Amino acid sequence: MARADFVTGWVLILLSLYVIVESWRMPRLEHLKVHPLSVPGIVPAFIGSVLLFFGIILVIRSIRRGGHRLGLTREGFRRIFDEPGNRRLLLTAFLCIGYAGFLIGTIPYWLATGLFVWVFIVLFERDRGTGFRVQKWRLVTAAILALISSGAVTLVFERLFLVTLP
Amino acid sequence: MGVLIENLARLFSAIWGFVTPFALFHMAWSSLLGIIIGALPGLTATMGIALITTLTYKLPADLAILVLICVYVGAIYGGSRTAILINIPGTPANAATTLDGFPLAMQGLAGRAMGVATSGSVLGSLIGMIFLATIAPILGTYALKFQSFEFFWLAIFGIVISGHLTALEDPIKGWIAGFLGLLVSMVGQEGIHAYERFTYGTTELLGGFALIPAMVGAFGFAEVLSVMQSPPPKMAEAPRDSIFPKVADVLCYWRTIVRSGLIGTAIGIIPGVGEDIGAWVSYAAARRKSKEREKFGKGSIEGLMAAETGNNAVVPGAIIPALTLAIPGSAPAAVLLAAMFIHGLRPGPMIMVESPQFVYQVVAMVFFATLAILIYGVALSKILLKILAIPKTRLMPIVFVLCAIGSYAITNRTFDIWVMIGFGIAGYILRQMKYPMAPLVLGIILGDLMDKNLRRGLVLTDGDLTPFFTRPICLVLWLITFSSIVLSIDPLRHGLESLYHGLRSRIRPGRLKASR
Repeated sequence: MARADFVTGWVLILLSLYVIVESWRMPRLEHLKVHPLSVPGIVPAFIGSVLLFFGIILVIRSIRRGGHRLGLTREGFRRIFDEPGNRRLLLTAFLCIGYAGFLIGTIPYWLATGLFVWVFIVLFERDRGTGFRVQKWRLVTAAILALISSGAVTLVFERLFLVTLP
Repeated sequence: MGVLIENLARLFSAIWGFVTPFALFHMAWSSLLGIIIGALPGLTATMGIALITTLTYKLPADLAILVLICVYVGAIYGGSRTAILINIPGTPANAATTLDGFPLAMQGLAGRAMGVATSGSVLGSLIGMIFLATIAPILGTYALKFQSFEFFWLAIFGIVISGHLTALEDPIKGWIAGFLGLLVSMVGQEGIHAYERFTYGTTELLGGFALIPAMVGAFGFAEVLSVMQSPPPKMAEAPRDSIFPKVADVLCYWRTIVRSGLIGTAIGIIPGVGEDIGAWVSYAAARRKSKEREKFGKGSIEGLMAAETGNNAVVPGAIIPALTLAIPGSAPAAVLLAAMFIHGLRPGPMIMVESPQFVYQVVAMVFFATLAILIYGVALSKILLKILAIPKTRLMPIVFVLCAIGSYAITNRTFDIWVMIGFGIAGYILRQMKYPMAPLVLGIILGDLMDKNLRRGLVLTDGDLTPFFTRPICLVLWLITFSSIVLSIDPLRHGLESLYHGLRSRIRPGRLKASR
């Protein structure tokens, strides 16, 4: 956690410095004769300063705990990707972002949703040890679930809530 | 006396107003859905309310809030089932429930534990509801005296205290989360001169980040990622004994119930400190006062009662500041507050002037939600067990489909889907690094309030900071805020201690000379 805190601390310092500089560059609106203490940059600058303070504390604290020795190795990265939980996480993120970010709006909504649910269930429930009949049954079950969920969501949002689906 | 009768009349009229087939139908499905959401590990109350908000757009405002409150109360209660049966809290609010609930289930007393959880939750909600009915109108009237200075400090106080109490082991992370939330709220057109901050010329960011997609992401998508990463939980076993709540348990532990109800309500009122803290503090207080302290953690009825009363009492408690100050008492209450704004309601100090009846309608909503959990708690145990058996690989894609379409449906913008994805990934990373989500949400909600009131206050005093520190309420708020920060950061605390010792050693010889 100390290493993560060290990196987060630096990210916070850089972010807060950026916010402070941006706040400074915001207009003072003198031509509108506004009060100098009501200018738009004052509150972001305040928040940036507080975050800068916390970022510095986080970095100092993590250095004291040895967090600055990041020890990044290829072996370490490989271990992260080999861990089954992290693999599941990456696959979930890939499928979800692919569906919501790219599939929706590209193909009809009902098709994108059905496809996403089907692929998600099939990929996560695949089991190399089981026979063809079991696998086939799983594919069919996933397809039924995908059809029902896609149909229900499309119907509810389009017909009941009158949403123009993407 | 006249005011009391008038308020009681309002309350009864509000209760009677919901006794219609349409309202009862909405109560029935939403409470059940809330219990199911709470019972399913990985689906939290906040996520449930955020998702269900997207299903209430077309409902009238009062029915929409009724649905959301039923989901809220139901979810906090529903989580106890999972905590008792499979030792996994259904929502974070039920973490303390696992300590005694699961050992009771292991002793073959799962049914009794569920009964205790039902009675604790119902009584906790009722105690909180009584305070909601009595405190909210008083606080609402008192809040009319608040000026910019008080509102600025309330926002900072909320962030700091919420940050501290939701990250007790490392409060700095709670504060960082809170101030990051404030920073997020700075994006978009500001409320005084309409200047576009951090929008980079994009029209989508003019109104800032929409609250519901941000919260659906931080609590929905982030939760989907966490759940899929973790291994599947063990299957639950059906209880063999009776699940009916026992009057003897209530009578035997009435002191614990009242104490936990009071603690839960008080914790609910503190901005951004949620149901989980309410349960933990109630549990700790019950243990300290108990005559059977040795049973705690090994299957204590009293411990289970305290945890479940404490977390459900937080729900009405958290609604009190949300209604009267527009400052949510917990993360789910923050989403509820956002939903109120979406439905055109205006919670805040003017509520008792503009729509006092709404406060009593909310009390009535909590009452009906409590009634629903009592009925479902007794009637639906076996069906809930079947729902618990649904594999996460089939549930999570459907949850994500709702996250995506729910974010989109508010304004029909695909940009909001990207907001949901962005907040989901950020929320997941922050959670992995032990940054609490409640202060972040509170920050997003309170950013605008803090921004306007700090600048208004400074203009009113022509840059003089004195009223920010000398007005009575401001004084209390900033003293608590600063001492919370100073006492939690080691170098600052050590500096203060050495300053104190230095001053003491200087004063002492002087006093000695004077006395001579």
